[in-house]
Amino acid sequence: MVYCLFGIVFIISIYTARHYSFTLNRLFGFQRHPYIDTDTANWPQVTILVAAHNEEKVVANILTALMSVNYPQDKMLVVPVNDRSTDRTREIIDGFVEKHPGRIRPFHRTGGKGGKAAALKDAMEMVETEVILIFDADYIPGSGLIKQLVAPFFDPEVGGVMGRVVPLNVGTNLLTRLLDLERSGGYQVDQQARMNLHLVPQHGGTVAGVRLSALREIGGWNDNSLTEDTDLTYRLLLNGWQTVYQNRSECYEEVPETWPVRIKQIMRWAKGHNQALAAYAFHLLFGKHRATFRERIDGTLLLGVYAMAPVTLLAWFLALGVFYQGIAPLHGVIALLAFTAYAAMGNFAAFFEIAAAVRLDYTRKRICLLPFLVLGFGVSIFSVSRAFVSQVLAPITGAKFHWDKTERFRTTP
Amino acid sequence: MSPALATLLLVVLAGFLVTIPLLPAIIELRLKRDAQPLDVIQQYGGDIRHFAYGFRRIAVELQTQLQECVAAGTSATGVLPDGDEYVLLGHPDESFFVPATKRDSTWRSVVVAGADLALPDDLTFAKEIYAAGDLTGGERNTFRAILGGKNIHLQRASKVIRWAHAVRRFRAEHDCDLYGRISADQEIQLQSGCVFQRVNAPVIASGFSDPTVSQYLSRLSNVAADAAPSLPPAGRTLHDGDLEIRAGEVVHGSVVTRGKLHISSGARILGSVKSNGHLTMDSGASVEGSLIGGTTMHVGSDCRIGGPVLAERGIVIESGTHCGSAVNPTTVAAPTIELEEGVLVFGTLWARNEGRVVPKA
Repeated sequence: MVYCLFGIVFIISIYTARHYSFTLNRLFGFQRHPYIDTDTANWPQVTILVAAHNEEKVVANILTALMSVNYPQDKMLVVPVNDRSTDRTREIIDGFVEKHPGRIRPFHRTGGKGGKAAALKDAMEMVETEVILIFDADYIPGSGLIKQLVAPFFDPEVGGVMGRVVPLNVGTNLLTRLLDLERSGGYQVDQQARMNLHLVPQHGGTVAGVRLSALREIGGWNDNSLTEDTDLTYRLLLNGWQTVYQNRSECYEEVPETWPVRIKQIMRWAKGHNQALAAYAFHLLFGKHRATFRERIDGTLLLGVYAMAPVTLLAWFLALGVFYQGIAPLHGVIALLAFTAYAAMGNFAAFFEIAAAVRLDYTRKRICLLPFLVLGFGVSIFSVSRAFVSQVLAPITGAKFHWDKTERFRTTP
Repeated sequence: MSPALATLLLVVLAGFLVTIPLLPAIIELRLKRDAQPLDVIQQYGGDIRHFAYGFRRIAVELQTQLQECVAAGTSATGVLPDGDEYVLLGHPDESFFVPATKRDSTWRSVVVAGADLALPDDLTFAKEIYAAGDLTGGERNTFRAILGGKNIHLQRASKVIRWAHAVRRFRAEHDCDLYGRISADQEIQLQSGCVFQRVNAPVIASGFSDPTVSQYLSRLSNVAADAAPSLPPAGRTLHDGDLEIRAGEVVHGSVVTRGKLHISSGARILGSVKSNGHLTMDSGASVEGSLIGGTTMHVGSDCRIGGPVLAERGIVIESGTHCGSAVNPTTVAAPTIELEEGVLVFGTLWARNEGRVVPKA
């Protein structure tokens, strides 16, 4: 038992060191934004896929925003992927098609497999351009965003692009404020540090782009994946395509406003991520492919982030067991010192990361909410662990692939 | 003290102690002092002319008054809504700006001139300046921002602190420091010793003696109106180590190297190029698509590059090289850029730290 605990502590320590190295890199390291200054170019044709499943509350906002971006109109086609919507989504989209002839070509999907990846896969029949951008329907792109997301594709090594997600409904309640802090840490520090350090920035599947030839080379969208974005990141990496992150390509999104919606969302992410862990971790770490050594290590650690929740829970139980069995690991004093050191440093790695992100964003007072993040982490750790257990038990329980769409809360369509 | 009371007190005390560190969080949650979404710029598309257009709106609002000054050959003063003082000049001559003492060499008003404007040496303009006609600076002038209704011509060792925009041509003589944004709707010429950051025009030329770039271009024997594809056809080769493309070799498709890349003289790449190490392009080589460097890049003389030229650390471009074309303008961007005299960039030059025009070796 004690050796198992040591093993888990070792892994947790690696993640702790990773958090600190990312944060320190963002605060003091060289920042890479290699494509952001591409101001003038012969811009390529681009198809913008807008994934929409029952999005009557939000779809008009994104279509309005896309119609006013500064990308050359004759080089941009918007394809709303209306995936089996049963609300007014179709009607709203068709209204826009009428209003902007030739600029929007809708893909109304009435049947087929559920899930965003399946819908995108079907919508590929509408795509003829080398560059594809993807947005979820609740996003509101700014005027210059499309050019910023297209620019990296001038680099022939780039297969995927990811922009920064910024919550719009921050002030609604405690949950939205906590999610704002989490997003801030995740993008402003985590993603950008991975970009800076030539590691593995993650494709997020929205505010994102993919190169058609790269997508074809890796076999298209994986509609068996619950997180097609994570799946895409790793297949691109294994085939020698880079995914790049653009921290200054920011786009508003709507975050969940209720805990049940948030729990569903994070459980889906966890399951999808764990799918990718099972599918790619071994090959990424030991296989013959084009990823560099540092990409192999970071990619594997990234794949394991959701698996760490049940592992941490297990460590807590093991620690209790060790305590009640009266075992003093190594030597009591060393254990005490290690525990104290970890309590002082390790537990705060993620908080330090978020605090740094808030500082980098020049938003100071929201940092006061940092202690409440314990609540968010608590909910996450149990939700993700639950997702993990249900996933492991799926072959026994016979649970089927199921894709939960995140509920929207916007009130002004 | 009864055990019940003691327990209650303990709970209250413990609760109080737990709450103290949470007080700032509770206050922030209640008061929502910082609960706005991050400020994502939705409408500003990054246009280099953004501030010039803003100032032009101010100049347009003053047009009626300015025309009166032009007709009467007088000047007038006033105060803008933001509190800045302005001076309208009908028919300004150089003597208008000649300072009585050295202390007066700084103009603190916005200057709006209804005609051509020629400035004496050693003046500082702390606010924006607009000339409806040609603006010709004096030597060692310092400008906060300039809007030229026609051409702008800065004399030796002048400085622009924030932005300058010329509706026609912009020319900076030797040793000018051009911070911020410099743009023109026709062309920009920068002489050696000029320092720049962000520059945009249909054509940007470094160190030309001809009065206009079109005159220079007409002297060239074979200027191709390149029509390179925006993204070259799919198909690329990946190299894990260093790579040399031999002299005169023609490569179909894009090339990506993990190490250094050397494109020898006269080689042609019918695609894009990416090198994660140092990239060297020898004289007369050409790349139809983009040229991307993970570190530094040295582009030799008389090269032709169709697409964006981007490097993460620095770029040196030698004389006679053309980046982009009149048909397909492009971007040359890196933290530091060194342009030899005789380089043409069609589109944008963007050096986040410092760009510099250097004499031809």
